Amino acid sequence: MTTKLVISGLSKRFDGLEALHNINVDVERGEFISLVGPSGCGKTTLLRIIAGLEDATEGAVLLDGRALRGPGNDRGFVFQSDNLLPWRTILSNAMIGPEIAGHAGPHERQRTLDLLKLVGLEGFESYFPRQLSGGMRQRVNLARALAIDPEILLMDEPFSALDAQTREIMQTELLRIWEKGRKTVLFVTHQIDEAVFLSDRVLVLARRPGRIREMVAIKLPRPRGLPIKRTAEFVAYVDHIWRLIEDDVRASVIDEHA
Amino acid sequence: MVAPNKERAKSTIRSLRRRDVNLAGLASIVAGLVAWELLSRFFVANALFLAAPSQIFAAIYQLAKSGELWWHIAISGIEFLLGYVIACGLGIVAGLAMASSDTAKKVLQPWMSGLYATPTIALAPLFILWLGIGIWSKVLVVIFLVLFPVAINTEAGLRTTSLRLIEMLRSFGARPSQIFFKLSLPSATPFILAGLKLGIGRGLIGVVVAELFGSRAGLGRLISQSADAFNMPELFAGVVILAVAGIVMTAGFGWIERTLVPWTQD
Repeated sequence: MTTKLVISGLSKRFDGLEALHNINVDVERGEFISLVGPSGCGKTTLLRIIAGLEDATEGAVLLDGRALRGPGNDRGFVFQSDNLLPWRTILSNAMIGPEIAGHAGPHERQRTLDLLKLVGLEGFESYFPRQLSGGMRQRVNLARALAIDPEILLMDEPFSALDAQTREIMQTELLRIWEKGRKTVLFVTHQIDEAVFLSDRVLVLARRPGRIREMVAIKLPRPRGLPIKRTAEFVAYVDHIWRLIEDDVRASVIDEHA
Repeated sequence: MVAPNKERAKSTIRSLRRRDVNLAGLASIVAGLVAWELLSRFFVANALFLAAPSQIFAAIYQLAKSGELWWHIAISGIEFLLGYVIACGLGIVAGLAMASSDTAKKVLQPWMSGLYATPTIALAPLFILWLGIGIWSKVLVVIFLVLFPVAINTEAGLRTTSLRLIEMLRSFGARPSQIFFKLSLPSATPFILAGLKLGIGRGLIGVVVAELFGSRAGLGRLISQSADAFNMPELFAGVVILAVAGIVMTAGFGWIERTLVPWTQD
């Protein structure tokens, strides 16, 4: 395995408040890593820094050995809300990345059509976002990020707005799509079972300041199906991670109600 | 597969309802015209105060046959169009300037808000004094009435660009100009169209009232000279033509909105 992404000595302060403290992570090529932690642990901030949407106060992020500065087409970001443009068709929404980069030719068009097919939206290319359900819009969100053929996929709680059943379906769908291309993925979620189900490793963060509590390797066989969630190993992983963050979650709940 | 089908079903129901509304509206107009006809024939017998719809349509027919009507419509139409197009152009540019530069906003905003609220139509006599009773004094009145709502709406539309969507485009490395053309402008279009629509009514009022203050021709002129001559059918003929123009243009705008910004229809 080769190292794809290096996060080294990364810290982030907002007005003196330390959101992230000395984060060091090496991500292997083709690895699926989830970030979990209580609210306020800076998991989304970390993802946004890697995406180039925010700057780190200290430290660096290296992709293939090259320091990242600002957003770029080497990273595809899947947002929590679908963020589709309501006046564009599904195909045209999914093509926005290549279009911004200035090469939306027939090759990219065919690629995007294939991706829409891959995410299960064949036949919906000329629909508008308002005609699609929430789950379908998130599929477009994913296809849009993949359309730029990124080195790494950054996903910020993409299923959090979906209902529980749709969410489970989308998890298996994501794994199916991921198995096809084996992109390197960083996936932020607050649902522990989602993290365990999807990931090779789960990065557990603590809060105030946001720092690494533990990196948990998930040694479950792939490909995984939903029944795996009922196995003893799976439940043990979920338990272990929950115990790591339980106190923090309680503290954050009290904070939010104070 | 379910969602789009359901959507289609919903829109069918909507269009059925719309047809019902249109029928009810038509019936209401017909009933109103009949009541008006009866009222003016049997209760207000004096033709100095009210004209029956039949008389009005006869007057319109006569005016059209003599060619006089087309002349008035052409003059008012040119005044309206010139003023409206100039005002929309200037208004959109002013709105863009206010949305893209804080300095421009600070400089322009007090004038925009102040003059929008001012009944600038009261300045019509002054404009006639400056520019004479020809078309340009009316054009200026129209500009003053239409410019400000267009500018204010354009600015508001551009300012309400969704931050989430800006961020999405930024994540793909979009430049500010790309964000403007791919996001801010299309998302402001419904607001800009609303401003332009608002401008139609205000512009028509501007033309007619300015013509009442002093003019050689135009629908306002037709109305004022008919009033001086106590010619009620011709007076109402002018009013009806204006009403039809307003209705047609507003409906035309509805069509433009449905075509240009269909995502706001739900």
